[in-house]
Amino acid sequence: MKALTARGLTKVYRKGKQPALDSLDLEIESGQIFTMLGRNGAGKTTFLRIASTQLLPTSGSVTVLGLDAVKEAKALRERIAIAPQEAETIYPLTPRDHVLLGLRMRGMEKEEAAKRAREALEDLELTDVADTNSDWLSGGLKQRVIVAMVVRTDADLIFLDEPTIGLDPVNRRRVWDQLTRLKRTGKTIILTTHYMDEAEALSDSLVIINKGKVMAAGTPRSVKAAVTSRTTRVDVFDSFDRSELGAFGHVVTIAGRYRVLTDASGARRLGDEAVARNASIAISPVTLDDVFVDIVGEAEREGENGS
Amino acid sequence: MGARKTLRSLWAIMYYLGFTPMIRNPLFMAFVFSTPFTLLFILFVASNGTALPYGLAGALTMITTELGLFVGTDLASYKLQNRFQDMVVASPVSPLIYMFGVALSELIFGAPALIILFGLIAGQGASLAALVSCLGVVILLWVTTTSLGFFFSAYAPNTQNAFIINGFITTMLSVLPPVYYSVNVLPPYLVPLAVVIPTTEASSLFQGAIGLGYSIEPAWGFGALLAATFIMLLAVSFRMKWRES
Ligand SMILES: Nc1ncnc2c1ncn2[C@@H]1O[C@H](COP(=O)(O)OP(=O)(O)OP(=O)(O)O)[C@@H](O)[C@H]1O
Ligand SMILES: [Mg+2]
Repeated sequence: MKALTARGLTKVYRKGKQPALDSLDLEIESGQIFTMLGRNGAGKTTFLRIASTQLLPTSGSVTVLGLDAVKEAKALRERIAIAPQEAETIYPLTPRDHVLLGLRMRGMEKEEAAKRAREALEDLELTDVADTNSDWLSGGLKQRVIVAMVVRTDADLIFLDEPTIGLDPVNRRRVWDQLTRLKRTGKTIILTTHYMDEAEALSDSLVIINKGKVMAAGTPRSVKAAVTSRTTRVDVFDSFDRSELGAFGHVVTIAGRYRVLTDASGARRLGDEAVARNASIAISPVTLDDVFVDIVGEAEREGENGS
Repeated sequence: MGARKTLRSLWAIMYYLGFTPMIRNPLFMAFVFSTPFTLLFILFVASNGTALPYGLAGALTMITTELGLFVGTDLASYKLQNRFQDMVVASPVSPLIYMFGVALSELIFGAPALIILFGLIAGQGASLAALVSCLGVVILLWVTTTSLGFFFSAYAPNTQNAFIINGFITTMLSVLPPVYYSVNVLPPYLVPLAVVIPTTEASSLFQGAIGLGYSIEPAWGFGALLAATFIMLLAVSFRMKWRES
């Protein structure tokens, strides 16, 4: 069953020249963790806001849990929850207050809410600071408070807009664990992120969008395979010029050194050449990060040529 | 949401967005009450006590207006700064429950000041019937200004602006028009302008109840206030920027 279907979804903000979403088509299976990837301004937040009944589309439609997000918003709101991007804690509430507010405003009974709040605070390792003023918390703790507000709600579908922003690697994984736990209880999770490793580790399927258009969609593995024949990357540490490397594949510069995105035979040829020159290289499979830079960067260059 | 859930939801919003912040930050109330009581004091000493009844009618009008409009500033910051309203929109909570949840908790916190003012009005010899009618006026005016505050919160581009707009409207509604003085002292050509302002009607009704005589026909005053309340509520229900476009 589909948890979400978008058809020709378009959004042009009143002050915007370019569409933030450009005739977007998308399908999300229920019971999955679905990730949206895209550069700053790609349209991720716009999409989430429309699907979660906060913003009207200019045209096109989006159906969430079988309900039209525009016409059946009231019924839909009973079944969704969102942790918005850049949400801030409310002065002078404590983390526990926040979680209780998130649960009880949805009509949950007091005892049930208290129990679930304890669980949510534990889930995100906030128990020790549960009753301190949120203003005193570090940025990462505040961010976890926002996530804690939605993880134990009764919503069937939960939207999270960059839930792991500003979290250290340990705490990011803690959030991943919670999202995975939520999925196991049958809920659908739709999130956005800039971290490719996160999308790769966490999502059942994902979409890469750029300028409001879908660039690639599928499982992390299929996206990697489908959008690029360059399955292997070779990091070159010395002894080669950029112009020489062009013969082996697509060259990108990362932190002053070269990375060649290529296929197995390109890697082999480059490897032989490196051995001959006694050069240092490292060969590994491409990551989603490489794919992202590759396809979004490609689109960017085409756009520049076109205009 | 069913009725029980709706009540729980209303209570949660009152408790966490109203009571809790106010208990932990009592300075807020001192801020709300400072201006009306200062104006009351100035009128009292400058007139050797004779203008006290006008001061009472004015202070009652102003506090009610402030309590209503302040909802707008709070909601603007929950919306623009905390993005909390985004969470509320994408949830079963209805806009009216959200607005009145915040508004009611602030009204309850304003209650001590209102009680003091009612006591002082009773001290001026107002009858029980007059006090009850004053309470009715307070409620109507509060619903009107709360709706107005909600409206401004929806259109304010940022929290600083919301705060400035709020201060401006408070002055325009409860200091400039005949709130601390009688409509009758205005030049005649300004009277039609003054009587369309809901705070003028409210204060005139308070003035009448205190025994200063009604400068506006009370039936007309009540009717106009009722109409303003109804229009504002209607406007909030139908034209509110709950979902953005
Ligand atoms: N309220 C608005 N009014 C006008 N333009 C807007 C508004 N909100 C977003 N935009 C524009 O729409 C486009 C998409 O923005 P959006 O916030 O959806 O991007 P995003 O993918 O979430 O980016 P980020 O990763 O930085 O959060 C951008 O060009 C942005 O400038
Ligand atoms: Mg965004």
